Amino acid sequence: MKNSAVFTPRPDFSITILSQTQLLKMVVELTRHIATLFQFPIGEAQKISLAIDEAVTNVIKHSYHNDPKGEIGIDFFLAPEGMRILIRYRGLAPDISDEEVNIGRMIKKKRKGGLGVKLMKTIMDSVTYSTTDGENRCEMIKWRTAK
Amino acid sequence: MKSFQIRSKMISGVAVLYLKGHLDAHQVARFEKELVRMIKENNFNILINGQELSYITSAGMGIIMGYIDEVREKGGDIKLCALNERVQETFDLVGFTEIYDFIADEQAALEKFSSIHPKA
Repeated sequence: MKNSAVFTPRPDFSITILSQTQLLKMVVELTRHIATLFQFPIGEAQKISLAIDEAVTNVIKHSYHNDPKGEIGIDFFLAPEGMRILIRYRGLAPDISDEEVNIGRMIKKKRKGGLGVKLMKTIMDSVTYSTTDGENRCEMIKWRTAK
Repeated sequence: MKSFQIRSKMISGVAVLYLKGHLDAHQVARFEKELVRMIKENNFNILINGQELSYITSAGMGIIMGYIDEVREKGGDIKLCALNERVQETFDLVGFTEIYDFIADEQAALEKFSSIHPKA
């Protein structure tokens, strides 16, 4: 059983961006770059960067309602066992449903939301949301071994 | 150069949308605008050619999902063709391949539409 205690308390790399969708591509490319530098296969690195894209997009749309002045911190923690990514932001706390996303049902209900979280949970080994003292956190872990 | 480009043309009664580049939440409004324009012009046979699409997120997939019912109710369909392995895998991850037709090449996709007759 993998344990997040393998990661150091201090991030190996951090950035803070404004809540602007034009910055998503930069975050995706940076994440892919970090993951490949850290010896994740390119296919895995691409999927991890997609999960980060989805997480940050959700923050911009649902927590900051596209307010371009919101701040989003992204911390990368690297260990031989895997990669931990922590996304920190204020704004509205996320409303994440544990309901399994079913595409057919979503079409019938004319719902578009939920696809991003489905992607995040499918790609990453762990996705958890929490809120402490007004700071929201989305923590994602990808272990180096196959799921 | 823009990181996402979209163009469209009619081929044998099918509206073909050619997507190129990186389609994320920042670019998705342009994709939706073009798709809506097609539907408003009563084009219900819609083929999305993703041969040059390098990246898609749930924002783009949500647009396809949001209009599929309307298009199918009018007797048409939205199909996808020529996706690269990475983009196809993204669709697979959320289960799109159970609901939508994914066809390897444009010609085969156009032939699949030939049996569909949209309602007037």
